[in-house]
Amino acid sequence: MRRFRLPGTWKVRVGYFLLSIFILFTVIGPWVAPYDPSYTGFTPDLSPSSQHLLGTTLLGQDVMSQLLVGCRETLVVSFVAGVIAVVISIIVGLTAGYVGGKTDEVLSLFIAVFLTLPGLVLLIVIISLFPQGQQANPLVIGSVVALTGWAWGAKVLRAQTLSLRNRDFVEASRIIGERRWRTIFAEIGPNLLPVLASSLVGTVLYAVSVSTVLAFLGLTPITTWNWGTMLYWAFANNAALAGEWWWLAGPCLAIALVGTSLALINFGIDEYINPRLRVGNLSNRERKRAGLSRRPKLGFTPVHRVTPVIGAPVMAGAQTGPEVLATEATASTPAPREDHP
Amino acid sequence: MTTSSNPVLEVSHFNVDYGVGAAAVRAVDNVTFTLERAHVLGVAGESGSGKSTLAYGLTRLLRAPGIITGGDVHLHLGTDADARRMDLLAASEAELRAIRWKHISVVMQSALNALNPVRKIGKEFDEVLKTHNRSMSKSARKDRARELLGLVNLTPDRLERYPHELSGGQRQRVMIAMALALQPELVIMDEPTTALDVVTQREIVAELQKLRQELGFALIFITHDLSLLVELADEIMVMYAGRIVERAPALELYRGPRHPYTLGLMGSFPPLHGERKVMTGIPGSPPNLKDLPGGCAFHPRCPYAMERCTLEDPMLSPIEDGQRTVACWLHDPSVSAAVPVELRRKDAALAGEAG
Amino acid sequence: MNQIPANDAVVATTNGITRGEVILEATDLVRRFTAKGEGGLFAPKKTLVAVDRVSLALRAGEVVAIVGESGSGKSVLSRLLARIITPSAGTLALRGTPIDLRSRRTTAYANEVQLVLQDPFASINPVRRVGRSLERPLRIHGTPKDQVQARAYEVLESVSLTPPQQYLDRFPHELSGGQLQRVNIARGLSVRPKVLLADEPISMLDVSVRLGVLNLLRELCDAHLLAMMYITHDIASARYIADETAVMYAGQVVERGRGTVVIDAPVHPYTQLLVSSVPDPDQLTHQEHRATTANAVGFNLEGCRFSPRCPHATELCHTSEPPMVELEDGHSAKCWLVADAAQRTAVSMRPGPSSEG
Repeated sequence: MRRFRLPGTWKVRVGYFLLSIFILFTVIGPWVAPYDPSYTGFTPDLSPSSQHLLGTTLLGQDVMSQLLVGCRETLVVSFVAGVIAVVISIIVGLTAGYVGGKTDEVLSLFIAVFLTLPGLVLLIVIISLFPQGQQANPLVIGSVVALTGWAWGAKVLRAQTLSLRNRDFVEASRIIGERRWRTIFAEIGPNLLPVLASSLVGTVLYAVSVSTVLAFLGLTPITTWNWGTMLYWAFANNAALAGEWWWLAGPCLAIALVGTSLALINFGIDEYINPRLRVGNLSNRERKRAGLSRRPKLGFTPVHRVTPVIGAPVMAGAQTGPEVLATEATASTPAPREDHP
Repeated sequence: MTTSSNPVLEVSHFNVDYGVGAAAVRAVDNVTFTLERAHVLGVAGESGSGKSTLAYGLTRLLRAPGIITGGDVHLHLGTDADARRMDLLAASEAELRAIRWKHISVVMQSALNALNPVRKIGKEFDEVLKTHNRSMSKSARKDRARELLGLVNLTPDRLERYPHELSGGQRQRVMIAMALALQPELVIMDEPTTALDVVTQREIVAELQKLRQELGFALIFITHDLSLLVELADEIMVMYAGRIVERAPALELYRGPRHPYTLGLMGSFPPLHGERKVMTGIPGSPPNLKDLPGGCAFHPRCPYAMERCTLEDPMLSPIEDGQRTVACWLHDPSVSAAVPVELRRKDAALAGEAG
Repeated sequence: MNQIPANDAVVATTNGITRGEVILEATDLVRRFTAKGEGGLFAPKKTLVAVDRVSLALRAGEVVAIVGESGSGKSVLSRLLARIITPSAGTLALRGTPIDLRSRRTTAYANEVQLVLQDPFASINPVRRVGRSLERPLRIHGTPKDQVQARAYEVLESVSLTPPQQYLDRFPHELSGGQLQRVNIARGLSVRPKVLLADEPISMLDVSVRLGVLNLLRELCDAHLLAMMYITHDIASARYIADETAVMYAGQVVERGRGTVVIDAPVHPYTQLLVSSVPDPDQLTHQEHRATTANAVGFNLEGCRFSPRCPHATELCHTSEPPMVELEDGHSAKCWLVADAAQRTAVSMRPGPSSEG
């Protein structure tokens, strides 16, 4: 099947595993959190213990509960941002790549502008335009983050579409009289799936970090719980200086792990898109099982004899040779006569 | 016909697989042949016949997942006094590097991929000459490069050009000139003219014939175009599904094929003259190496297939006084069925010569 | 093979079409492309003439072969006829009705004139099942939903892919090259076009399956009275299949003739070169070629396009373009050599006899 399917390397599997854990906590986090993350009644400044697995804050809150509850907002904002950004990049990138000409010039300029704009500054300006009540809405934050994160995907999609546009099957679809938008989305679209997936993963990764930074800087409401606001409170209370590492370690590690999982998945997609990274479907395991000690090198094809050299079947054929010759001689004698009637 | 008097390449029971273990696909199966010095061996076959895999496997240039899984390949280097016989399959990387270009060179189908796009043609020649002959002066290298271009009918100003500034035919000429730069004993060409138009192909083939007479290298020429081989090659080897199915002197093969596949292949090229008549080619599709039929791999497409063909794989066996070999049960003495006329005819002119 | 000259063919009639009737007629088609000139950003733009005043007529039940090397403009010509590329000048008429070339190509035109592309591996969407690729044109051209599958079965059978249900659910990479090219042809035929333009349909296929596809094209042409254009660089295959052969060089038709005359008795030096270049084991003694391509780049735009490579070129050839001269019935060449001989007979700049009906 040439349909989109990720190669099942260990990297991708670990990536899937990690990400699915976080997605699980996005769903069930607030229910499994042991305490109310905002409740300030615990003993402040406790290091991790069986009561408080990740300790408590200076304000007497349970870090573990904050981490679990905050997971939902962080990931929802990031995925909303990722999906919106991908949708924008599909529309802009495919149109620019397929239509070409002036449209492409204008859209490419647009992409270039958004790629070079300092995203964070733009974000700060746009966020401040929203009323206070709206700033906490994940959809609003997600859309704003998407606004600064779509350009990279659009650029890649445009390039891919450009190369696909001249492929024969696209021309064939024009020949049979397919409408232009259908050619773009139904014929070219599915061939872009791996690139799209990679672009989605990349944008989500970007959104995780940007939304965290926004919250950390206090630009989004600090009253809701996400990993950014956790870091905001930790730094506001000098957690690092006070040696309260557990307060910082939780959100930092969580962000790092989400990032790792997405990066690992992207490796897999990369291998799928870029055949040069696929080591000629000769996996390490296969290679070892066959007893090949080294990875095959370019210009040095490995020799691995599996069949005995002597006694190969051709020898048997050669022994029957004389008989063949004898009969062949008689069989072929009449042939010239038939050629000359 | 001389037999193994002065060979340049000896190949025996050569096997190449793609992949290992259960997923392995045999691409070249039990190939044995000897190439005489200064001879041209044509290898004909369709995609999946293993002809390119054979060429790259012999030179150990085959990429992963290709693995050589059996056989022996010996290259005879140098002339009488310092002649030696080198085991290519046992050679180290350094040894292989030392003989490439100098003793054995390869010309691939797409010269565009083989030439560095940001390097002038002259620089490419310079590199090849410098690596294998450090004592050569810069001006001597330049003279040699001009001389080599002259061999393939290109003007020396091409040395100052980049690959993309040359036409396909010119690039392929450059590749041939480079392959001959160090006067190797053996040149392997894999469909060198397939991407070119017929006029250019004709010119390059004519140049090759001239060069071979002047320089005396042995040539393995791989193509799907049997009629081209008949003109160029001394002997032709026809491959199907990774095996040699027939080997014979070029004209004899053309005038009297013995394997049904060779016959079918020749009936697949419409003629340039004579009455127009409907031809049929070969029914069915080329074999899928992952799922080869049992017995003779050609039997599902063979109009002469017998029950035995579906059960047992025929060996490559000598026929007609060892002049040629064929792997087909029709020519086996133990088979009682008569060989069909079209598979045992001899050309009138040739028969006359022989008698 | 059915060889019925246009003149005495009035026998078969299908869908109101008479064998030999002119279906698609092109007159003086020109296509220019502008390319960036050499030497920097502000270099003047170069104009390339890909197709230069080509006229031809495609007739029902006949195959016209266009022979030429890459860059001769033969592929552009097929796209001009399919109206995927707009001509810079010239006219097109479909069954006698002139086509407004400035307007968009209509679905009706796409329905009548279908183009089969060279590379079957690339011209069928790799991520779609064969069935979908086949059914799409039917849906576009308004075939009722309940008849789509029946028609898909029918066309698959007509290209000898039987049983059809075995092929509909496959992905392109599960089929061999020959089978895929049959699917490609079936897709072109599914909407019952009157004109089939085949752009090098066998050049990407394995040698042993090429004849099968050629025979199929010829059979389809005869059975459905298709007007077919067969584009190729393989002159022997043109000889095998065509009722009329036209040789293109640098965008122009330089020689054309009915039957096999162009290949059996070529008149134009380029056609002679082409024919003598084909490997032919039956004639191993090749005459020395005097024309050369080794160092030649570009072609003469002033006089005869072929004059820089031509062994017979005279001053006249380098300075003025030769006319298309009719030599005998249905055979004409664009060369001063023959123009001199036929000087007294009318020398016209008009194209060959085939477009006169």
